[in-house]
Amino acid sequence: MKFDRSKKPSITSKLIFKMPSHDKFVLKNNLDVYFIKKDVLPIIKINIIIYAGSKFEQPGKKGISNLLTMCIDEGAGEFDSLQLSEQFDLLGVQFSVSGNNDTIQLTLQTLKENFGKALELIGKILISPHFDEKDFKREKRKILTSLKQLKDDPDYLASTSFKSLLFGKRNPYSFPFLGLEKDINSITNKEVVSYYQNYIFPNNSFIVIVGDISNKELRENLDKYVSSWKTGNFDAQFKSTDKSDEKVVYIVDKKDSVQTEIRTGHHAAKRNSKDYFPKHLLNTILGGQFSSRINLNLREKQGYTYGAGSSYNYFKDSAYFSVSTSVGIENSANALNEIFKELNKIRDGVTEEELKFAKSSIVRKFPLSFETNSQVTSNFIGKVIYDLPDDYFDSYINNINSVTIEDVNKAAQESIFPELATTVLVGDKEKLIPQLEGKDFGKVEVINNF
Amino acid sequence: MKLLNISYEKYKLDNGLEVILHQNKNLPMVAVNIWYKVGSAQEVKGKTGIAHLFEHMMFQGSENVAKEMHFRYIQEAGGTLNGSTSFDRTNYYEKGPSNFLEVALWLESDRMGYLLPALDQDKLDNQKDVVYNERLERYDNQPYGLAWELLITNLYDKSHPYSWSTIGFADDIKNYTLADVKNFFRTYYAPNNATLVIAGDFKRDKAVSFVEKYFADIKNAQIVVPLKISNGKLTQNKIIRHKDNVQLERIYLSWLSDKAYGKDDAALDILSDLLTGSKNSRLYKTLVFEKEIAQDVTAFQFSGKYGGHFTIVATVKPGKSIDEIKTKIFNIISDLIKNGISSKELEKSKTGIKSSFIFSLQNLDSLADHLNSYNFYLNEPNSFSYDLERYNKVEEEDIIHVTDKYLSNPYIELRVVPKDNES
Repeated sequence: MKFDRSKKPSITSKLIFKMPSHDKFVLKNNLDVYFIKKDVLPIIKINIIIYAGSKFEQPGKKGISNLLTMCIDEGAGEFDSLQLSEQFDLLGVQFSVSGNNDTIQLTLQTLKENFGKALELIGKILISPHFDEKDFKREKRKILTSLKQLKDDPDYLASTSFKSLLFGKRNPYSFPFLGLEKDINSITNKEVVSYYQNYIFPNNSFIVIVGDISNKELRENLDKYVSSWKTGNFDAQFKSTDKSDEKVVYIVDKKDSVQTEIRTGHHAAKRNSKDYFPKHLLNTILGGQFSSRINLNLREKQGYTYGAGSSYNYFKDSAYFSVSTSVGIENSANALNEIFKELNKIRDGVTEEELKFAKSSIVRKFPLSFETNSQVTSNFIGKVIYDLPDDYFDSYINNINSVTIEDVNKAAQESIFPELATTVLVGDKEKLIPQLEGKDFGKVEVINNF
Repeated sequence: MKLLNISYEKYKLDNGLEVILHQNKNLPMVAVNIWYKVGSAQEVKGKTGIAHLFEHMMFQGSENVAKEMHFRYIQEAGGTLNGSTSFDRTNYYEKGPSNFLEVALWLESDRMGYLLPALDQDKLDNQKDVVYNERLERYDNQPYGLAWELLITNLYDKSHPYSWSTIGFADDIKNYTLADVKNFFRTYYAPNNATLVIAGDFKRDKAVSFVEKYFADIKNAQIVVPLKISNGKLTQNKIIRHKDNVQLERIYLSWLSDKAYGKDDAALDILSDLLTGSKNSRLYKTLVFEKEIAQDVTAFQFSGKYGGHFTIVATVKPGKSIDEIKTKIFNIISDLIKNGISSKELEKSKTGIKSSFIFSLQNLDSLADHLNSYNFYLNEPNSFSYDLERYNKVEEEDIIHVTDKYLSNPYIELRVVPKDNES
């Protein structure tokens, strides 16, 4: 069979994708429940999201919410730390507690047959954690050692120092979730318990359940194991003062590095702002995927890096835009120069062809983001946290398709500011300072010990 | 377990390309996954890393696909894509909405059959830079990033093909020539050295005709003679000290062990779980939870077609003794050999393994890759149940037996220490 290999096959058939529908109900203790039935495999994912992330920490107590996540599953109900962990193992359940600046999350994946028992354990952790002094001390020593170790990790150093310098010390979003060493030293078990008592309430949380279970069985189990979790009063206020953007290059000195970790960017509008869709398309063109401008330039053209990209990063109440990459140290200034070139260039506008490509990619890829229970869960969590409209997923494709090139170009003008970019370079200052001389990346400040 | 019985159809084209089809209509998407039976094990000294560099070249366009367009066509169709290189094989995979199947097969076939006309010095030089930076980012500039390379180069006999890492030595990366890369393609990239898996929601007859249309005209190559491996033994303990940009010391203990799907492979996997897989596991509980002399401890059984090794890694808490940790590890191993394990410990590990088998079925790429992996190692794509059964069959005595058989042998001890620490 002869055919013309040079012609790309065209995609003709339309795809039919039905969004999984969700059910929302409220338990009698005011816990919001989002349930998405997915029964292709006999497994269930449970996520409990509590608005108790590190942004609520008082000054001098940075690290308390992380300590809470480390201690909350160190014994609960009739089980001590090791016994509790063993209970999960006996069920073959994957369980973890994590957190970020906004929230604390309890995550669990279980076979259908063990759902009730798994939920019972989560109930115990939420309702009757032990907070034993001995466990607290051990976990505190552990996190202090982790922080010491993370000083070796260039990626962690770059991301945390960038966020800290961008947001400034008056904004709670500037602090790493893991906390600050000097604060952690002074945090007591009592304070962790009181953080728990102030924030860990069903009416300050929601639960997302995805998997193979009937609505009836789910409700029965939730009633049985979670509804005795007591409602309470909490203070959800926190002050967020954004530092104004200014063009500065911070060198975070890391002697003997063979690479430089680069982060550069500025503040941005919140996740639920109107120009989200134009910005999403804009970033897809600029640095959101492999074929985006920044990666094609820095990797495929210049060979400076293994990969480079940009993103809008969203907190619940704030956001920032950043470009990140790591490059051979001798190319640090060259790479930064190319990044700024791309940021300036995109403000001149994108092409119709680029926009068509970005739309096609996003729209066609949409069904893939509902494949696993974890993906479905994280989509719904985002919708709730960022307060997105009820029909967000149903109208998603329409919202992408209706963005015009004018919208994207306007977004480029209004939400990309190379002239106000904060830049962080984690690398060897001796090799970085000479490269920056005479360059217009902003005034240079060296931080010797971040 | 019925759930783990994955239906498939397997056939061969005249040119030797093996094809495996698995229908799965859960979502309107399809995964394409190709394994080429070549990895870093086929490399020669002085050209290490070329299999991985070559994987990069496969994304640089082919006769009918301009540079940058391979990624672009897949992404435009709503797909995701990548590739990876290991000791044993190189894989390429993409996943997208069902209607992207033809585009994906067109792209895969063009680079399988018609890569060389599009390969030039500029592309090679560019990707050598990219890979060199990949090495810096993932190995040289990572804390403890050189440990894997230090372990395998010392553990395996110098003539064993696992004695260098897939990324390749820095000097070798700089030295590949265009001729090297072209030869590599001619030797290993041919339909008769590859298996194509298509998994997901597609029409069977259409897929078969696409495969015929795009792959049937690709010429096969002379069959490569299989590697002959002599597994040398380590005759005495070897201690290596490596200074790195790290705050905390770390100790690695590594023993040569069984190969993938060898008779002790599953028991060694379970052993790693018993030692460090949970809070109650033996090493974790003693070193991290009770004594707090280690910040973390991990054990794993690595196994490939031509060999394997079992490794224990522990990071030393500030102010604690690396020697004490080593002593404790060996005490715990001796105790296990002497007194065995409880049936409850074994049961917990097996339960965890069973659950993770089922959890892993959620992802279509990983399912497609598993079919290829089972086909490669066991010559039977539908081996999920067989694989799980390997673990179910392990008994308490087997754990004692493999611990004694391998962990009593000479080992490599690697100590990564802070640069300014002269202790």
